[in-house]
Amino acid sequence: MNVRSQLSMIFHLDKCIGCHTCSIACKNIWTDRKGTDYMWWNNVETKPGTGFPSKWEDQEKYKGGWEKHNGTIRLKSTGKARIIPNIFHNPNMPSMDDYYEPWTYDYQNLFNAPEGPDQPTARPISMITGDYIDVESGPNWDDDLGGSSIYAKNDPNLEGLSEEQRQQLFAIEQLVFFYFPRICNHCMNPACVASCPSGALYKRGEDGVVLVDQKRCRAWRSCVAACPYKKVYYNWFTGKSEKCILCFPRVETGQAPACFHSCVGRIRYLGVILYDADRIEEVSNLPQEELIEGQRSLILDPSDPHVIEEARKNGIAESTIKSAQNSPSYKFIKEWKIALPPHIEYRTLPNLFYVPPMSPVIAEQKAGGLDSITEDLFHDISSSRIPMKFLANLFGGGQEGKVSYALRKQKAVRWYRRAVTVGDVSMELAERMLKEANCTIEEAQEIYELTSLCTFEDRFVIPPAHREEAVEALKDPLEHKQSTGFGFLTGPKRGM
Amino acid sequence: MSLRLSRLTLVLGVLLACASVQAQETAAYFKQNCMSCHTIGGGKLTGPDLKGVTERKDREWLTSFIVNPKAKVDSGDAYALQLLDEARGVVMPTIAGIDAEQAGFLLDLIEAESALEESQFKGIQISNEPFTQKDIDTGLAIFTGRQSLKNGGPACFSCHNAPGVGVLGGGRLDPVKADLTKVYERLQGRTVLSTWLMSPATPTMQSIFKNASLEKDEIYSLVAYFENSAQHGEVGQASAQLTFALFGIVGAALALVLFDVIWNGRFVAVRRPLVDSEKL
Repeated sequence: MNVRSQLSMIFHLDKCIGCHTCSIACKNIWTDRKGTDYMWWNNVETKPGTGFPSKWEDQEKYKGGWEKHNGTIRLKSTGKARIIPNIFHNPNMPSMDDYYEPWTYDYQNLFNAPEGPDQPTARPISMITGDYIDVESGPNWDDDLGGSSIYAKNDPNLEGLSEEQRQQLFAIEQLVFFYFPRICNHCMNPACVASCPSGALYKRGEDGVVLVDQKRCRAWRSCVAACPYKKVYYNWFTGKSEKCILCFPRVETGQAPACFHSCVGRIRYLGVILYDADRIEEVSNLPQEELIEGQRSLILDPSDPHVIEEARKNGIAESTIKSAQNSPSYKFIKEWKIALPPHIEYRTLPNLFYVPPMSPVIAEQKAGGLDSITEDLFHDISSSRIPMKFLANLFGGGQEGKVSYALRKQKAVRWYRRAVTVGDVSMELAERMLKEANCTIEEAQEIYELTSLCTFEDRFVIPPAHREEAVEALKDPLEHKQSTGFGFLTGPKRGM
Repeated sequence: MSLRLSRLTLVLGVLLACASVQAQETAAYFKQNCMSCHTIGGGKLTGPDLKGVTERKDREWLTSFIVNPKAKVDSGDAYALQLLDEARGVVMPTIAGIDAEQAGFLLDLIEAESALEESQFKGIQISNEPFTQKDIDTGLAIFTGRQSLKNGGPACFSCHNAPGVGVLGGGRLDPVKADLTKVYERLQGRTVLSTWLMSPATPTMQSIFKNASLEKDEIYSLVAYFENSAQHGEVGQASAQLTFALFGIVGAALALVLFDVIWNGRFVAVRRPLVDSEKL
């Protein structure tokens, strides 16, 4: 057993309102520099939709992630031999059009336009060429089903849905969508790290954050092609790749990452999980239908004395182990099993898990008001407006069972809370629902509290980073502090 | 006594050695500069056979002629004009850097060689029998480099063009002069051509073949080939260049098609085709 600690994330999609506050918080802190203008380390997509970059989930085109090959797995985009014939031109690189051409506006025209019969306008200007452009696409161009006849219709997750199901999905009365916020998954088996010819990408030992070393990056852009989530971006100005850093400078000082901190719907949770790094290769190799259970089995019980002992042997701090025991992520993933990884079939074993969204209740207009179509208060999850197959393609590795388990449990908690707080539902019925959903009353209460009443401290259980101890290995912390003052990363030295 | 004798032997030895070094250098000089037009006892080429030339004219006249042939001809010297007539109007070129001393050495060499029964500068003697098809084929093989030269010289093909070497033609170091189709006619037949091949006299070829001279049988085959091409071949410069250009264009197009096949699964575009397909 080789125990590692990992900051793991939960996004509760049933609470996401698609306000993009997370994206803006991230952009303002990290990607408002020249060359990063098109990057969205955090973005929010509407599903069904093609996302950003367009149809990133279509790995037949983008060639991201891993694939089974001769009994083991290999990168879809590159390899030790395959890199040679492609050394001068990477054939799997998304073009600017598949992201979008970043633009600003000619605001000065609002003030300086000569007097005329019309209101002056601020025309869009390309931030690449500096010319006036007609904006044709943007990072959330298909927001709220915008242009759905093009974008939503071509969502790769619609694969396997019958023609009838597709038509229902887009019928006016049935029309439904949900939001899908995305950041880097800081995977356990990251394809970007594996693909880098310069060894510039690495996974931090202490918390598993995946980073690009800006000094070692040589602009091969293999990571851009290899990441199946398209979450590594190439900075065209500095000539280096960049990606979400999980706001590690904030996390190291005990603050939640900016997108987590700013989340209006409080959908985001952050906590430590302990996992067994020895079994990553074995689990990444499992058949697709066993991947979700396989990844769950990698995640270790932080209260198990044997695990604690092994964690100590690997130098994991006591405070981190304690943090793992209080981790909301562990509960969502392992105990309640209602958080699921996005596209586990890419075999990167992502550490960002999603609680799948409940579809809104179907109601229809009747004389005197709206009326639910079903007899019951909540309709059965099998008649959800979002087809189960669609959610299974996105979060279940194609298996509807995993998704329906998570949805059934969420619904049972609703029944239970309705019985407790309103009382128009019998507790007997609620308990039956819970039992069917494999959920105890205590668990239901916990899910309810962590979903609805959660404070900062409940959502973000961040272990102390012990940065002073990290420096201690190389230098006296007090001396280090004094010699690198005044904003230099490396301290000033005598001589040239 | 024995000491003095040995000293004398030493001095004489050194002197003799100097003389023989001088003779060797002059022989090489002759080979490089004179042999493409002259033989010693091998008959007339472009210039006259030099066997016994020192008996035909006095050394003073010869020296002044060698140092500057054109001046001698221009001065209206009768014998010089006769030589010019015999050489069909070709004025002997002035060898760069030659002086009276060097001319003297040359005359010494010619005198010594004339006395021999068979001079090393007799040149190559090629019979007048018709060449066989085999000789011609061997010549072509040598020209194109399929048969490598015994002394390691480069194939003619790398700088020269001639008929029968393939559609793309041979090298074109000089667009006009490098075409050897009619070289047999230019050099007036077997004897001159073969002698010329024995010691090529242009600066480019001289530097290349100085240490990699052609063997007699190689020269024989090449002459056979050149004779054949002069009789049957056409100077095909323009069409060869056009063929070359066409080959380039077609080759580039084929390479592009090949790249397209190899990288068929490459990323082209995703969003644009989606949007375009809905516009239709």
